[in-house]
Amino acid sequence: MTLYQRRQALNRLVLCLALAATATGLFWLGTILWTLLTHGVSALTADLFTKMTPPPGSQGGLLNAIYGSVIMTAIATAVGTPVGILAGTYLAEYSRGSRLAEVIRFVNDILLSAPSIIIGLFVYEVVVLRFGHFSGWAGAAALAIIVIPVVVRTTEDMLRLVPDSLREAAAALGAPKWHSIVQISYRAALQGLLTGVMLAVARISGETAPLLFTALNNQFWSTDLNGPMANLPVVIFQFALSPYVDWQALAWGGALLITAVILTLNIAARVVASWSSVKK
Amino acid sequence: MTDIPANPVSLDLRIARWARGQRRLDTAFRLATGFFAVAVLLLLGGVIVALVEGAWPALRQFGTAFIVTEEWNPVTDEFGALAPIYGTLVTSAIAMLVGVPISFGIALFITELCPRWLKRPVGTAIELLAGIPSIIYGIWGLFVFAPYLQEHVQPLLTDALGGVPGIGFLFAGPPLGIGVLTAGLILAIMVLPFITSVMRDVFETVPPMLKESAYGLGATTWEVMWNVVLPYTRVGVVGGVMLGLGRALGETMAVTFVIGNAHDIHASLMAPGTTISAALANEFTEATTELYLSSLVALGLILFAITFAVLVVAKILLLRLQRRVGT
Amino acid sequence: MTVLSPARPTDALPPLARPVVPTDRTQVSVTAPTTKVEIRDVRFYYKKFEALKGISLPLYDRRVTAFIGPSGCGKSTLLRVLNRIYTLYPEQRATGEVVIDGRNILSPDYDVNLLRAKVGMVFQKPTPFPMSIYDNIAFGIRLYEKLAPAELDMRVEEALQRAALWNEVKDKLRQNGLGLSGGQQQRLCIARAIALKPEILLLDEPASALDPISTSKIEELIHELRSDYCITIVTHNMQQAARTADYTAFMYLGELIEYDETAKIFTKPGKKQTEDYVTGRFG
Repeated sequence: MTLYQRRQALNRLVLCLALAATATGLFWLGTILWTLLTHGVSALTADLFTKMTPPPGSQGGLLNAIYGSVIMTAIATAVGTPVGILAGTYLAEYSRGSRLAEVIRFVNDILLSAPSIIIGLFVYEVVVLRFGHFSGWAGAAALAIIVIPVVVRTTEDMLRLVPDSLREAAAALGAPKWHSIVQISYRAALQGLLTGVMLAVARISGETAPLLFTALNNQFWSTDLNGPMANLPVVIFQFALSPYVDWQALAWGGALLITAVILTLNIAARVVASWSSVKK
Repeated sequence: MTDIPANPVSLDLRIARWARGQRRLDTAFRLATGFFAVAVLLLLGGVIVALVEGAWPALRQFGTAFIVTEEWNPVTDEFGALAPIYGTLVTSAIAMLVGVPISFGIALFITELCPRWLKRPVGTAIELLAGIPSIIYGIWGLFVFAPYLQEHVQPLLTDALGGVPGIGFLFAGPPLGIGVLTAGLILAIMVLPFITSVMRDVFETVPPMLKESAYGLGATTWEVMWNVVLPYTRVGVVGGVMLGLGRALGETMAVTFVIGNAHDIHASLMAPGTTISAALANEFTEATTELYLSSLVALGLILFAITFAVLVVAKILLLRLQRRVGT
Repeated sequence: MTVLSPARPTDALPPLARPVVPTDRTQVSVTAPTTKVEIRDVRFYYKKFEALKGISLPLYDRRVTAFIGPSGCGKSTLLRVLNRIYTLYPEQRATGEVVIDGRNILSPDYDVNLLRAKVGMVFQKPTPFPMSIYDNIAFGIRLYEKLAPAELDMRVEEALQRAALWNEVKDKLRQNGLGLSGGQQQRLCIARAIALKPEILLLDEPASALDPISTSKIEELIHELRSDYCITIVTHNMQQAARTADYTAFMYLGELIEYDETAKIFTKPGKKQTEDYVTGRFG
């Protein structure tokens, strides 16, 4: 083979491998989603949404787990979003380029990529031990700590995209800084901020580790946030590892449910993100 | 048309009064945002302090020997972190060895080979992999992937490579399905989307003119990637890999389902083991003594230290790349 | 029509280099001009760099004053001193005095919001806010005044009429301002500024990002607004200065080289530098 032919062959080989790699990646996505569908769809009955988690060997649903997940996610989002947005606003609007801002951004990225089980451990030490029991509040706190860095990051990134010329135009009209931020910067970055919140919600919807020793789990219906609270991920964890077929079926159903919600949120976030480019 | 306000002086006064109130609001808003920004710092500080506080009894009891002891006996209250640390490092190493080349292949495909109309869907699909929560990987791993490996792949590996001197020991032992290798492979799938997306982003920062000059000399796509794109984006690629590594190190649920949860170190990759996060997930709620609990928190502290170090290095590398590109 | 004396050596230059001939100002006001803004020894610093080196000149009420000069000469910088917009950036500062209606606006106890209610600014690039056309105009008004909806409607319409934009947008007031063309967006910004009923208008290269038709619309607008405001316009287009301004100031490297009636600047400039610039020998 000539040198030229050899180079072409190598090139073709590499490109085939690249194609194979992509096919592999897509294959994993496909088989995981397929597995979820085939195993979980049988559990998608009305019972799933109306009955509580049953003792082993009997029929039931996931109502208390769904409720607990929804409540804790909602609280975490309600607390984490304003904190994250305000902190991100500080980084983007008040302290651009300063040393403090760099340090905060750095620390924020550390928190963003920290293993979520460590966050759970932290909340255990600080909340569960202090109060002496597991609770829905602790679970919500752990989730909130995961939401905050995500929202800080996206808020800062989105606000930085707003051109300074808009801020100057508002200042030239005499608008005070806070008014300019709220009425102009936030409005201009609205799609991006919304996307960030949706992605944060998608992220915490599937998190198990931080709930393992904060909210723990609850077999019964409970709306009391002061005690252990049922939630989907921990229920799936428990039921899937058990030897009971009924429980395993419910676990698959819950898994399908969570994945459907998360994928919908992810896709919706993408759609919202593309709105802003269409509007221009 | 100009109607000058009837009394210019009173308008001035009104504006001045309004402005004073606005200044107070401005200060309040600034303080509020600054407060929460600093709170982020305090949060990290709090995490470190809480971990150290919780781990203190164990650290005091075992000292630095904790890191190198394999023994993990809840009954006799003797704990050592060696097995979880080993498991964490080995599974992550497997994840990187398998995942990075595949990520590179996907990034190469998306940036150079993919037809324009396919770029978005393929990119989105790969990113959806990142959205799937780790517990889903866990149950899929336990019920589908591990049995598959057990029946079809592991016997093959043992037969083909078990006898090869030098690496044979890695593939010895009965095919259990679950184990260190399986966990590593699932982690590889999980870190794929992160590394791929960082690689894609840095590949796209290469100035087209640079690539075109290489193509213009007759270089093949592979040669351009290897000789032009990769060296140009080297820092970013390494940063992205380290980001993926950080993710793999901390991954909990997927690993917990398939690693077998045995506080042992075996030479073979097909044997069960444990990682720090899996140990925490499995044993935390069962920890009976204070020392047991504290040892687990100490494990958490070690994990945090490892991921912290990896993330810091990744950040520094990515910052250097940004500075070079000029963003 | 002012005619060049045939003996001027510049007649021999190629067309582009020939000095600009100011247009006939049949509507030049016959009343003597009153000083609205007195700029006294203003210096400006970006960190250590001195960008304005002691500028002093008057700006007359109900007249248009143009600032011309090559890029980087400081004309936009001077404009931005007049409404203290530079205070948004900590590393920029100004010294000296700018006296409007008897008070130095650069002094710290002159309220900056009061200043910006009096002095309106239009920027080089159109900057419509991300809201409806109506809200764009109402934004500034709502800052200072609490008006009934009917009154607010009237003020918005007034401003848009004045900016010669009303007919084009009266049916789409609730639509997003970003949907307008470049020239319309810039007139929207002008309407937004005059909605506050300022006394002074600062225009920083208002037409440089626009096509020729939009540019001429803006220049017509300036001509109409002239009778009610003290207008200052920065432009790198000498023909535009000649067309629109009563007075022209030529700046170079942070210094005011010459300031006079536009006609004089373009036909009989006092300084050699000015003559070189307006005849196109440099810049």
